[in-house]
Amino acid sequence: MPVWLREYSWRQTGAAVYLSLPLRGVRVTPANIFCTDQYLKVSVPPFLFEAILYAPIDDTNSTAKIGNGIIFFTLYKKEVAMWDSLTLANADKEKLQYLRENAVLKSHEKAKEETEAKKVTKQEHKKYALEATMKLEEAERKRIEDLKEKERQKVTKELALWKKQQKDAEKQKRVQKEGQLYQEGEQLKGKKKEKMNQTRIPNGGTSKTKLKPTQDHGSYSMFSENLKEEQLPAPRSAATIKINFTSRVFPTALRESRVAEEEEWLHKQAEARRTVSADLSELEDLKEEEKNPDWLKDKGNKMFATGNYLAAVSAYNLALRLNSNLPLLYLNRAACHLKLRNLHKAIEDCSKALELLTPPVPDNKNARVKAYVRRGTAFCQLELYAEGLQDYEAALKIDPKNEAIEKDAEKIRHLVQGTSQDS
Amino acid sequence: MSSPGLERPQVVAHAQQALNYTLFDCKWVPRSARLLCLGSAARGTGLLQLYELSGGRLALLREIEKAKPIKCGTFGASSLQQRYLATGDFGGNLNIWNLEAPEMPVYSVKGHKEIINSIDGVGGLGIGEGAPEIVTGSRDGTVKVWDPRQKDTPVANMEPVQGESKRDCWTVAFGNAYNQEERVVCAGYDNGDIKLFDLKTMSLRWETNIKNGVCSVEFDRKDVNMNKLVATSLEGKFHVFDMRTQHPTKGFASVSEKAQKSTIWQVRHLPQNRDIFMTSGGAGSLHLWKYEYPAQRSKKDSEGAEMGVAGSVSLLQNVTLSTQPISSLDWSPDKKGLCVCGAFDQTVRVLIVTKLNKV
Repeated sequence: MPVWLREYSWRQTGAAVYLSLPLRGVRVTPANIFCTDQYLKVSVPPFLFEAILYAPIDDTNSTAKIGNGIIFFTLYKKEVAMWDSLTLANADKEKLQYLRENAVLKSHEKAKEETEAKKVTKQEHKKYALEATMKLEEAERKRIEDLKEKERQKVTKELALWKKQQKDAEKQKRVQKEGQLYQEGEQLKGKKKEKMNQTRIPNGGTSKTKLKPTQDHGSYSMFSENLKEEQLPAPRSAATIKINFTSRVFPTALRESRVAEEEEWLHKQAEARRTVSADLSELEDLKEEEKNPDWLKDKGNKMFATGNYLAAVSAYNLALRLNSNLPLLYLNRAACHLKLRNLHKAIEDCSKALELLTPPVPDNKNARVKAYVRRGTAFCQLELYAEGLQDYEAALKIDPKNEAIEKDAEKIRHLVQGTSQDS
Repeated sequence: MSSPGLERPQVVAHAQQALNYTLFDCKWVPRSARLLCLGSAARGTGLLQLYELSGGRLALLREIEKAKPIKCGTFGASSLQQRYLATGDFGGNLNIWNLEAPEMPVYSVKGHKEIINSIDGVGGLGIGEGAPEIVTGSRDGTVKVWDPRQKDTPVANMEPVQGESKRDCWTVAFGNAYNQEERVVCAGYDNGDIKLFDLKTMSLRWETNIKNGVCSVEFDRKDVNMNKLVATSLEGKFHVFDMRTQHPTKGFASVSEKAQKSTIWQVRHLPQNRDIFMTSGGAGSLHLWKYEYPAQRSKKDSEGAEMGVAGSVSLLQNVTLSTQPISSLDWSPDKKGLCVCGAFDQTVRVLIVTKLNKV
């Protein structure tokens, strides 16, 4: 149970009430004081003081001064009147309760209103600050724009001036030219008149002399041009410079950022072409590079070029044992067999190559042409001219512009027709 | 931009014109305020448009349509009185036009089997000495030099060896034309090769590979003893070679700079100051650079052979004009700082670069 404080003293004027409340021994903070417009409460445990005021007061403006052991309230009355007493005398418990609750509610509402008002002012302040900064930035931007505009205008003026100068210069040149032409014209007229006078009598010469004035004019200007041309050196004697390019597998342009990707792709391609079946026991004797079908193919090509056809064939054989899916190996081996006159083997190899060269795409066009041509040659050497002609015509279909194939095809056609006529 | 920034050269957009065709090249007509736009119309024909710069706008004077789209052009090989335009088109034809009478070309030859990517001319316009010549570089891998007085056959042909697979030649430039005999052609290819051909000795003088496809090469001056060569490439890099000293094995010294994230399409030196050049990029930006020479341009290496020393490059200004690549750039030879650039957003822009005197 709190200790009720009943000792207090008060006095009043028309507009205000002065209440002094002694509170000894305890420290009072503003939190302990609760005041609404008709209710005043001071609660400092264990002390409690409450008063239901006689008339409403203006609680926002009223003050409480906390002194040493005493609180001094200055309450401003809402209505100017003299109060009979500080508190309402006939207050019963219920009314008290009701008033208390009311007071609390009212103060809550007040608090809410205050916070909202604070918020509103804060927002306004922020807005103001933002607008101020925006204005400053606008000003800065405008300043820079103005500077740029000034530059632009200055530069445009200079340009206009320059153009004017140009036009004047051109006009002058034109005037000069006209002057010159006029002079030339006068001279020509003079010459013409002379010629005309001379040739009026003989008729046959008119055509010749009519040409002369124009020729004169022509020679006048040609003369000056000749001079000029003599100053320029003669056209260079034609020559060709042969160049090599830094090799690049891909047809696209070289970019540093793509180099890594490209290397990886090439590496993978090379791997795919390597030993398909790596567990042949004889291969252990071979060196690393001899297991690479590409290397063996190159070896074979070199030996073919030097004429060593048997060695080339053995190189290709080994390469094919390592990887039997490379059509170029069959193709090259077929060429060797042709040279060695192993015609049936040549035909077999060409056929195998053509099998591997499906699907027919522009990339393997060259290879297919070669395959057909070699097979055709083999057939013809076996005197199977009809089959040979078929192959040559297939080759022509792929590459119709190749004259060598055309000529050979013609020859075979004649042979075929010749033999069919006989039989 | 604070005041130190305003001391630098500024790029001012003076005029621009929206076009309804793809613009591949734009060139100033020498001794005038007229410029030429070359390109390809939507229906697959070539277009030549002549504009005049008047006030702050471009006024169309003439429009000429030709059978094949036109890729590149130059006035470099014609005299100042004639001002004939040499063009390379998509069909590999080299034509020289008199713009006063453009129905029939003054000179025409089917020079290449594939599109002519780049063209350059020397010996005309009062620049350089010696015969007027035109060089063309094409996708068929050959570089050919033509003399307008000789029909049908080139005076020099740089072609791949028999059996060698060809690489696209993307750019060509003349240089070293300081007297009647000397002349040099530099060519850049899509596999990163740069080759320098000497036309006096008809031989390959130097070659190198810059690891990225070469988009544009230019000597700082065509008509002096070759001084500097700038080569720009894919991946935003460019190299400046000091061409005064050639080492027997190491070639020419160079400094390289990675400037823009995308391809650098063109480099053009300011005609009035050979140490200032502008590069145009695939992101629609232009960068203005200044080259500073080193204290000593050459030094001796361990064996006593002369070796060049490259200087340094500093960025003066950069500006982004467009979202599409700026594929062509040309400085006016008559007014310092006036330049025209054409971009793939079908716009041609005339720009003025200020304060170049104070650089």
